[in-house]
Amino acid sequence: MLDHTLAAPALSKRTVVLGARGFVGSHVVRRLQESGGEVRAIGSDSIDLLAADAADKLATIVRPEDTLVFVSAIAPCRDAAQMTKNMTMVAAVIEALGKSPVAHLVNVSSDAVYADDANPVSETSCASPSSPHGAMHLAREVLLKTGVKGCPIAVVRPSLIYGAADPHNGYGPNRFRRQAEKGETIKVFGEGEEQRDHVFIDDVSLLIELVITHRSKGVLDIATGKSTSFRQVAEMCVEIAGKGDVQGTPRQNPITHRHFDPTARLKAFPDFICTPLAEGLRRAATAP
Amino acid sequence: MTGLTVGYAGMTHLGLNSAVAGAERGFDIVCFDPDVRVIEDLNRGDLPVVEPDLPELFTKNRARLTFSAEASSLAACDVVYVAPDVPTDDRGGSDLSGLTSLIDSAAGQLRADAVLVILSQVPPGFTRGHVRPALTLYYQVETLIFGRAIERALHPERTIVGCADPAEPLPESYRRFLEAFGCPALPVRYESAELCKISINCCLVASISVANTLAELCEGIGAVWSEIVPALKLDRRIGPHAYLAPGLGIAGGNLERDLSTVLRLAEQIGSDSSVPRAWIHNSRYRKDWVLRTLHETVLRVTQDPLVAVLGLAYKENTHSTKNSPSFALIESLPPCRLQVFDPVVPTDSAPHPYPIGVATAQAVCEGADVLAIMTPWPEFRDLDPGEIAKSMTGRTVVDPYAILDGASCRAAGLSYHTLGVTDA
Repeated sequence: MLDHTLAAPALSKRTVVLGARGFVGSHVVRRLQESGGEVRAIGSDSIDLLAADAADKLATIVRPEDTLVFVSAIAPCRDAAQMTKNMTMVAAVIEALGKSPVAHLVNVSSDAVYADDANPVSETSCASPSSPHGAMHLAREVLLKTGVKGCPIAVVRPSLIYGAADPHNGYGPNRFRRQAEKGETIKVFGEGEEQRDHVFIDDVSLLIELVITHRSKGVLDIATGKSTSFRQVAEMCVEIAGKGDVQGTPRQNPITHRHFDPTARLKAFPDFICTPLAEGLRRAATAP
Repeated sequence: MTGLTVGYAGMTHLGLNSAVAGAERGFDIVCFDPDVRVIEDLNRGDLPVVEPDLPELFTKNRARLTFSAEASSLAACDVVYVAPDVPTDDRGGSDLSGLTSLIDSAAGQLRADAVLVILSQVPPGFTRGHVRPALTLYYQVETLIFGRAIERALHPERTIVGCADPAEPLPESYRRFLEAFGCPALPVRYESAELCKISINCCLVASISVANTLAELCEGIGAVWSEIVPALKLDRRIGPHAYLAPGLGIAGGNLERDLSTVLRLAEQIGSDSSVPRAWIHNSRYRKDWVLRTLHETVLRVTQDPLVAVLGLAYKENTHSTKNSPSFALIESLPPCRLQVFDPVVPTDSAPHPYPIGVATAQAVCEGADVLAIMTPWPEFRDLDPGEIAKSMTGRTVVDPYAILDGASCRAAGLSYHTLGVTDA
């Protein structure tokens, strides 16, 4: 659940985005700049959070009035080595904020922290990750919560994000869209029955902006509340592209679904309206 | 007429309704409350609570009812019930200080042969903690239902009596009073009686949770929960009076208090509390059904909507808004115009910056983009879907309790949404 610490929303004096070169980070930077906010975008090229001097470097940059958006991660986190690196990164952030506190911290986590069968997922669902990626994010959440003192902390947990600039080509909307645009056959697992909640990158960046402007604290899932089967997503991509087709494959794994209860978001940001999946896919397809 | 005088200390919902029921059974009743204004109002006939039949029985039995702000008035009584409503906080915790104070006041005035009965709901261990020398103390389980308080007080199914020693016969005065209600008395030890009340409420919550869980499935698969309920009620293991109507979670404060008590006790002794936790989770989830439906159907597609809300009370036939689903909905709406009607609760109590009050249930529909019927007041059943459709600007009616007939609403061109039915 999310609580707003500002009675009236206002842009942070300055927002520092850690992980500004990534898919989510770059959209957040652009969104805030379009809203007229001052943004300090930091990528791994300027501060390597794995380096020994990372905390000192970050501490010299952040100011007491800043909001810090922490989105840097080695993701997806698949093994112990990557877990260690992600812990090193969060340790640097905690050390930096100990030396140089900020007004607000926004930690971009993941819905992978939840138990696989937590349907419908809400912010109060059991956080019991089954993957190293989820365990990494949950560990970072806990470390930030206990290690960073004196400022409100918001944790956002996005579901599956899609958008034109996503560098990943994993199973889902981004790959399906690219395959359809090439006129290829989209092969779904089984008949693509699994339902997931796919959230458009523009919605993710807007919700993070709302969290910043309300100086919110607590936890917020970023999901639409409407889950769609992979087959439906694939068929939408084919329809939008006007080419390609969808084909089932022999099922290797049991069917699982994930649904979200969006009530907390409806209450926190009642004016916010999610982009419908078909529209988001269309916008992703026509993005420059 | 009966030769017995019975006292009630604490003139809020429980005490007043129980006192009037006692008078209706033919006993002389002394009503004590330390608040002089409460007693003045009652002496004038101004009743602080809304309950069916209460005003009529109050008037009918006025000659048997004495009201006093002096605890010494209880000295005339053979049996004294201590029966204030126990306030609860948002977490279901009880504030027992008022009850304790009244027990002390009453106990100090009792005759040596008189009986003191705690009627307010208390956590296990409370009654034994108030045992003292020369005090004959019992705890009696109340089963008050808001909106049916008089009926329940006059016609209890049984009386559960918590005793220091259940093997000892009840004092004659107390026994005679209980017999006037014509139901079995079940003497048990204090702690069993205290937990019995909680057990009853847990059974009710379990039924409500089953109804809510299965009704939501109905909404997704094309089944209709109201078609399933009669079959369940004909099952002997479930029964005709089972709580199987789907709703917007538990409200009113009493059930929440009992669940909170169960969780606290389970934590203390280390017993499993996963089931009551699931009930609480389901209740919170279900409470927001209307909010989710409004967003899905109207709020995400309508600029500056006028939202009409029928009902503010947490349930019909009561003025109580404690944990009211209507209030919870209004608090979570995006900025919008709000038109409200409740037969009892005043418009300006709605948690909205400028609620628009209207004089009738029909008038609330005028110009509305959406109508939400949030309290199942019986008079709302008289609304004509055709007239609603004519008055509204929009077409959407959200009626969780199925106050209106869905088929008639759809025939009138309305988009009708209710619990336990797949949206048409």
